[in-house]
Amino acid sequence: MYHVPGWDAIEASLDRIESLLARPYGMSGRAVALLLLQGDDEIAGIVGAAEPEALEKIRPIVAEAQARYDDPLPYIIAVRRQEEASRITRAVLSRGAAPRVGFAERLSRIMMNPLTGIPLVLLILYLGLYKFVGGFGAGVLVDLVEDAVFVRRVNPWTAALAERLLPWESARALIAGDYGIVTLGVRYAVAIILPIVATFFIAFAVIEDSGYLPRLAMLIDRLFKAIGLTGRAVIPMVLGLGCDTMATLVTRTLPTVRERLISTILLALAIPCSAQLGVILSLLDGHPLGLWVWVGVMGGVFILVGALSSRVLPGEAPSFYMEIPPLRLPRPANVLIKTYSRVRWYFLEIFPVFILASVVIWAGQMTGLFDRGVALLRHPVRWIGLPDDAAVAFLFGFFRRDYGAAGLFDIKRAGLLTGRQIVVACTTLALFLPCVAQFLITVRERGLRTAVALSAFVFVFSFSVGFLLNKVLVFWAVPL
Amino acid sequence: MRRRFGRRTRQAAPSDGGRRIVIVGSPNVGKSLIFTRLTGAYAVVSNYPGTTVEVFRGWAHVGGERYEVIDTPGMYSLLPVSEEELVARRILLSDRPDAVLHVADAKNLERMLLLTLQLIEARLPVILVLNIIDEAERLGMAIDVPRLERELRAPVCATDATTGRGVDALRGRIEEYVSRARMGRH
Repeated sequence: MYHVPGWDAIEASLDRIESLLARPYGMSGRAVALLLLQGDDEIAGIVGAAEPEALEKIRPIVAEAQARYDDPLPYIIAVRRQEEASRITRAVLSRGAAPRVGFAERLSRIMMNPLTGIPLVLLILYLGLYKFVGGFGAGVLVDLVEDAVFVRRVNPWTAALAERLLPWESARALIAGDYGIVTLGVRYAVAIILPIVATFFIAFAVIEDSGYLPRLAMLIDRLFKAIGLTGRAVIPMVLGLGCDTMATLVTRTLPTVRERLISTILLALAIPCSAQLGVILSLLDGHPLGLWVWVGVMGGVFILVGALSSRVLPGEAPSFYMEIPPLRLPRPANVLIKTYSRVRWYFLEIFPVFILASVVIWAGQMTGLFDRGVALLRHPVRWIGLPDDAAVAFLFGFFRRDYGAAGLFDIKRAGLLTGRQIVVACTTLALFLPCVAQFLITVRERGLRTAVALSAFVFVFSFSVGFLLNKVLVFWAVPL
Repeated sequence: MRRRFGRRTRQAAPSDGGRRIVIVGSPNVGKSLIFTRLTGAYAVVSNYPGTTVEVFRGWAHVGGERYEVIDTPGMYSLLPVSEEELVARRILLSDRPDAVLHVADAKNLERMLLLTLQLIEARLPVILVLNIIDEAERLGMAIDVPRLERELRAPVCATDATTGRGVDALRGRIEEYVSRARMGRH
């Protein structure tokens, strides 16, 4: 029945291994033997702990079995299993009329063909992200919640309450100050993150349920291979355009540590979140050439850093195979349930982080560390040709990515920035450190050392790019 | 250090000797939908101890018995490549399930059988769930389920979890299977 040459020898090895195993392992001895033959470290560890003398006898059997074949044993075993699966499938499966090439199939091909697929991605990003999340979520909804709930009600109430109950100025600042737990932490989580993330998850669920993501992954796979990732990483990257913190959490779905690390780096550096995108796009409004310079530099950095880190980081290039499900019309009920459970999950993850962030800012202001930070940041800010005031925007950019950009916006409105300075500032700030929430999540997912090293790299890198960009723009006297 | 920031601290419930169903299968075959169909909406999400992989647990009543249902992260093979697969296998091997539902995409029977064969080889109490059967049918595929059961010597069920088709039959098969296994044990 089996066509793998020399399979009998493997059967004999399996029998010998099986007869050496005396303990139960939650599965048949044959399955344990198969896994041992395939070099499964975890199972070898378990067997070694339970009956070390048996493992000692099994090791030479495995080596002996491998010596018979040119191909690795896992491959031989997979081939033999594949044959069995093919045989059964032939016996039970019959195919009727071949499906005709319908509208869904044609659309599917349009999505995966680079010529038509790339414009389509841009269109989907524009409508789904820029218009729906950026315009409706980050614009209309945020204004509504922030103004109606916080500015009018919660903030004044909290301030009044703190005034009455807390006799100490510093305690009042902690709760109700400019960066207080309620006035910044809770407000930011509820009034800004919640509407943006909710609209983003709605758009994402619609895209996901339609079956578009695997097609996008196929389209982008080749580009991503060059930077050490696969099409699978498309999901955290697209999520990053909504919120990098959330995307950093989602990198845990990538199969290898290496891919997780590369994606975390790219998210921290080169993927601006929707909050940032909104402000940056409005900053560059009226500088069309500047916008293209910005897009070009961000895209270049994304590819350059990805390619470099995939060369530098040890590990094999990942392989990627993704099944392409059929295109379907998303069901509204499924979209809503998905959105609800994701928003809930995300909110519970992120809420404590924002509270913590406002405590950190409060401590920074109380101890004067903040002022010192601004003073220190003035130097790199000067190197990249920006006015001193921009240092404050950069420091706040670490606490709220969009707040940093919003700070620049004020400076621009005051007429203190030239076109060149705006482009340099937008680029540097978009590359600059991720927000404090993303930093904390990076600590959680990748460990403290990696997170700190990553931040140091991002800090130096962003200002270096800003410095170079400024020099280049000055040198060629690009009219911005 | 890692636990400090807002991580949910609920851990996977310890094994309590109750009846247990484990759902396995590759990603995107509708495992979670089968899970929801069996358990209703309520589920406890917890990180598998020592990992960042999330595991869903819920409860189902099948034939008057209460089962703990565990939805494992996606796995392609018993030989793990990713952390998710490792966790799924640990659950399979340590939780002593009364039934293992291998949820498979009916459209890709051949590829799906690779895991089914491994689960059967491991002598786990497998029920093969051919999910998304409606799409397979729409593509003109017909699967001879009784013949497949004879080939595998394991129960097979065709379902469409989005509409709920075949889920009641699945409950029936679970009940049958578990009670037969219990008879065999005595």
